Amino acid sequence: MSRKGFFTDSTVCIGCKACEVACKQWNQLPDDGFHFTAMSYDHTGALGASTWRHVAFVERAEPLPGHVTGVGDFSWLMLSDVCKHCQRAGCLESCPTGAIVRTEFDTVYVQPDVCNGCGYCVVNCPFGVIDRRPDDGRAWKCTLCYDRLGEDMTPACAKACPTESIVYGDLEALHARAERRVEQLHEQGLVSAYLYGQDARSQPGTGGLNAFSLLVDRPEVYNLPPDPVVPTMKAKQAWGAVAVGALGMFAMAVGAVLVGRETRP
Amino acid sequence: MSTELPGQESLLDRLQRKRDGRNVDPRLGTLLGEGSHQRVKDPDVAFPIHGPRTQAEPDAGASPTYHGLPVIKQPVWIPTIPTYLYVGGVSGAASLLGLALDLHGNRPLRRLALRCQQVGTAGDMLSAGLLIADLGRPERFLHMLRVLRPTSPMSMGSWVLALSGGLNTVALVLGRARGILGTLGRVSGATAGLLGMPLAGYTAVLLCNSAVPVWQATRRTLPLFFMASATASAGSLLSLLPHSEEEARVLRPYRLAGKVAELACGVAVERDARRTPGVAKPLSLGTSGALWRTSRACSAAGLVLDALPGRRRWKQVAADTLTTAGAILARFAVFHAGKQSARDPRATFESQRAGHGAAEVLGHAVASDGKPLSFPLPVVR
Repeated sequence: MSRKGFFTDSTVCIGCKACEVACKQWNQLPDDGFHFTAMSYDHTGALGASTWRHVAFVERAEPLPGHVTGVGDFSWLMLSDVCKHCQRAGCLESCPTGAIVRTEFDTVYVQPDVCNGCGYCVVNCPFGVIDRRPDDGRAWKCTLCYDRLGEDMTPACAKACPTESIVYGDLEALHARAERRVEQLHEQGLVSAYLYGQDARSQPGTGGLNAFSLLVDRPEVYNLPPDPVVPTMKAKQAWGAVAVGALGMFAMAVGAVLVGRETRP
Repeated sequence: MSTELPGQESLLDRLQRKRDGRNVDPRLGTLLGEGSHQRVKDPDVAFPIHGPRTQAEPDAGASPTYHGLPVIKQPVWIPTIPTYLYVGGVSGAASLLGLALDLHGNRPLRRLALRCQQVGTAGDMLSAGLLIADLGRPERFLHMLRVLRPTSPMSMGSWVLALSGGLNTVALVLGRARGILGTLGRVSGATAGLLGMPLAGYTAVLLCNSAVPVWQATRRTLPLFFMASATASAGSLLSLLPHSEEEARVLRPYRLAGKVAELACGVAVERDARRTPGVAKPLSLGTSGALWRTSRACSAAGLVLDALPGRRRWKQVAADTLTTAGAILARFAVFHAGKQSARDPRATFESQRAGHGAAEVLGHAVASDGKPLSFPLPVVR
């Protein structure tokens, strides 16, 4: 099976949230309640156990080159956000039960019957994607429609996207398409366009993302970390500190016994 | 579609359908499958966005955020986890002292070795209970021992805890037996004593191996702090339990060394966090800051009271109680600091822009947007 993924082109997203609805419909996820966040048209706020696609809305007082608005310096950025299916996934590397696996499509999948709800993947995702559902405590996230891929179908969100902002396909084809799109935008004058997390070269901390995006502003603006790292990469230093600490603890225990024994009258 | 639908169609459904005349089967709207049963979180608790936000306005300038929303998820753990961090540490350090007494102790110290083993075993049992209480699905705890995954401190820790608990129990049951069973018991006890060191230290790796900024930033010192604190609190707990004059001579240097090391490592943890000012904030501000300061004060008071001359029992009890309180409060402080740190998107963004993200271990110089990680010209103040 070839490596599959998403390319999300934020410059053609119209914020219709069809992807959110299609995802909930196919995956049979409940709605998040009808809450207004009082900050933008974004009412879901973040990815979670019952929200596997989320459209971010950013209003900026800066113009986008090539855009004409009637209200002066203003631009609206939208990005449909999803689990990144990282090449080095923090959730997968930290899962103590083996519930999180890499599938034959190179995506990251949580097996619901194995997950025991320890919640360790939640703190290990540098993108804040995976979350524990509150009733039985199991972790849930985007499966990249694993049940549809097996039937050679397109994931629900990409299928429903009316502007092809979300493109699903083979990773190599997506990379080529994305690079062409960036060149095209640069020619049109939108020189701030770049690809976020396309491969290990542009994002070494995750080894590249299977769901990468085209952005036109800093990652922080879209609530994406600028230099994410799979926490496991830093674990060596922590284990090294444990080794040093173990020496210290051993010295304290043996030393105390020797001192206490020898001072006996 | 016919107007007759079997099952739970209410009068209202029927009236509505008659009025708008749509050809819709309301059963298609019923959610089925595993994911659909989930109760959706109370939004005020789940996402701080719906409640008061950490940053009121997104800053369009140097350090933007997305409406002040958190970028990573808060730890979902409940207070049994910081409690476990303390209990596991005490259990590990007590088991280790038991091993040291078995190796170098003489006859009057035998009873203390047994006491250490008992504290270690009880601590392991209690730790397992606390961990199970935290899981959303306690009935599946055995899945923890399904795989051995070296990249996951949670997996390594589960194995260490399970082995240490099992071996300690075997040692407690067989340790005084004769013959081959006795040997088995003593070997088990020694192994459990050695496992006490990773048991006291891995809990810090568990926290540091995460995307939470304040935990990730203190990964070089937090394990040392937890292990020193484990020694101090195990020494204090054993001193609070009844013991003889000979045993007191061993316990005093043990707990004093632990207390001094704990205070020194506490300072080191603060310094480590302060490499990025935004990351260190939860250790000085808010609930977690108050907890941290109180814990440091308790530990310092415990050490001073213990080191003062005079052998009054009340003084000893007060010193050890203060040390124990300091150790427990420190675990809660670190836990809450992590929650606070995860809520603050700037802590994540700033530390990564300062080169403390992947760049720290991989040595590259540009962020994901192709811009240099640190602005080339430092701002002159």
